[in-house]
Amino acid sequence: MRAVDVQGVSFTYDDGTEALAGIDFCVEEGEFVAVLGSNGSGKTTLIQLLVGLLKAKAGRIAIGGREIGSLTAEELYQRVGLVFQNPNDQLFAATVEEDCAFGPRNLNIPETDVQRRVTESLAAVAALSLRGRAIHHLSFGEQKRVSLAGVLAMRPAVLILDEPTAGLDPAGEAQMMQLLKKLNREERMTVILATHSVDMLPLFANRIYVLDRGRVLQQGPSEEIFCHQEMIVRAKLRLPYVSRLMYEMKRHDGVPIDGLPLTIGEARAQLLELIPKEMILPGIEEIGP
Amino acid sequence: MFDLFSDIFTYRDNALTRIDPRAKLVIALAALIAILTAERVVLPLCVFGICLGTVIALRIPPKLVAVRLAAPLSIMAVLVVIQTFFTGTTPLFTITFAGWPFTAKVEGLRQGVFLGAKVLGSVSVVFLLSIVTPAHRIFQALRWFRISRNWLEIAILMYRYIFVLMDRVADLAAAQRLRLGYTARGRAMRSFTALAGATIIHSLEQAKRTHDAMRLRGYRGTMPFGPLPALGRRDRGLLALSLTLIAAAYGFFEWGIR
Repeated sequence: MRAVDVQGVSFTYDDGTEALAGIDFCVEEGEFVAVLGSNGSGKTTLIQLLVGLLKAKAGRIAIGGREIGSLTAEELYQRVGLVFQNPNDQLFAATVEEDCAFGPRNLNIPETDVQRRVTESLAAVAALSLRGRAIHHLSFGEQKRVSLAGVLAMRPAVLILDEPTAGLDPAGEAQMMQLLKKLNREERMTVILATHSVDMLPLFANRIYVLDRGRVLQQGPSEEIFCHQEMIVRAKLRLPYVSRLMYEMKRHDGVPIDGLPLTIGEARAQLLELIPKEMILPGIEEIGP
Repeated sequence: MFDLFSDIFTYRDNALTRIDPRAKLVIALAALIAILTAERVVLPLCVFGICLGTVIALRIPPKLVAVRLAAPLSIMAVLVVIQTFFTGTTPLFTITFAGWPFTAKVEGLRQGVFLGAKVLGSVSVVFLLSIVTPAHRIFQALRWFRISRNWLEIAILMYRYIFVLMDRVADLAAAQRLRLGYTARGRAMRSFTALAGATIIHSLEQAKRTHDAMRLRGYRGTMPFGPLPALGRRDRGLLALSLTLIAAAYGFFEWGIR
């Protein structure tokens, strides 16, 4: 069964801005899908439609096999959860524990179950030690993780994140992506990620949808997406930096690179094949000035 | 401004922060009633002294104490001045201001000091409560006392977003200052007006986004509150002892001393 099935959905804002124009978007259960697009491409509108914050003017949206309009709020929000880009939009309780307990308490489940869910969701994002802390005493990275925990406490089958790495330092970005990977691979949670940050996607996403001005330009695995240079430029995006380097070396310097490596691992393997063995010095730990 | 809302001390571990918030609320309420119904100046001043002593013992920075008590101290000063110069009959001294003679009176000074002491005593109780109890624990206790859910929900959201809005206002003000927005009086007025307008717009946008986030987690118009466990024996004992002491002090200072 498809976790998310969007068919021919259009949406136009009251001021006449056409945000989505008849798009199709499908995600299978357990998939990790990225929605890639520049600012104003329709990513946020799409995810707001998926969680019912906006209503489509045309088309059909089904979550877990059921049309979104036929689901009650309780049913919908246990199927799909949204993590906002700015954690301050989402963290409204005074403490981490109170915030994580907000959703489960709204489900009217016993308090012992509420506490269990709070513990599990905080553990899932490595934030158990923050449990008693005030929200406004947390760092931005901690707030991001706690806002994810608050949504996980609802135990949604589909987790949607709007720019989850925006504003994070490189370590925080890597930690957040590893968390999402763990939730996807170990908990079998379906993850949909709206982003315009391309560098990490090849490592995590099973499939990528590229949006531009409310239309799907291309969808498929990352190696398929990033080989369409013109389409990437048209969508006002770019290749991952490592791919860009390899592409430039191949195009301008004639380095015989096979395909287009998307990750540092792939690029390293290709370069090692090209460099004569006698030139490689073993045991170099640091790069000198 | 940031000092006014600082709550880092409420998260410290000490004997007072460990007391159940319901017990602290009842003790604070009893102290406030005693101060407000007192007919002599001694009890409010004693309460003020005890609260101030406790604050010093807790090593609260003097700057924070000064910022928090600035407004009530100003009110007290105004009360004393108004009462001294406009109430009573027995002259104490006369001063001339802008060609007008003003005579201070003994009865007015007494009345002013009495009212000022009540303000000071009451505010110090609330101040002490606020530095040994996190806001969310006070809200929990208030809900336990059956205070309206809607009122508390608004209070919780206000408390949470004060910090967010303060951060935004600080950023906006810094951005204005860096572009010379406060270098002349007229320009400063315009910058401040723009800042106030931007803050209102920010708060409206924030409210919309927060409401969306709450809806996505099952909010249906009432915010759920976590339960509080039954009051422990230690807290019950402390509550009984504190109420007895307040009653004894009230009896002693109000009826005992002549």
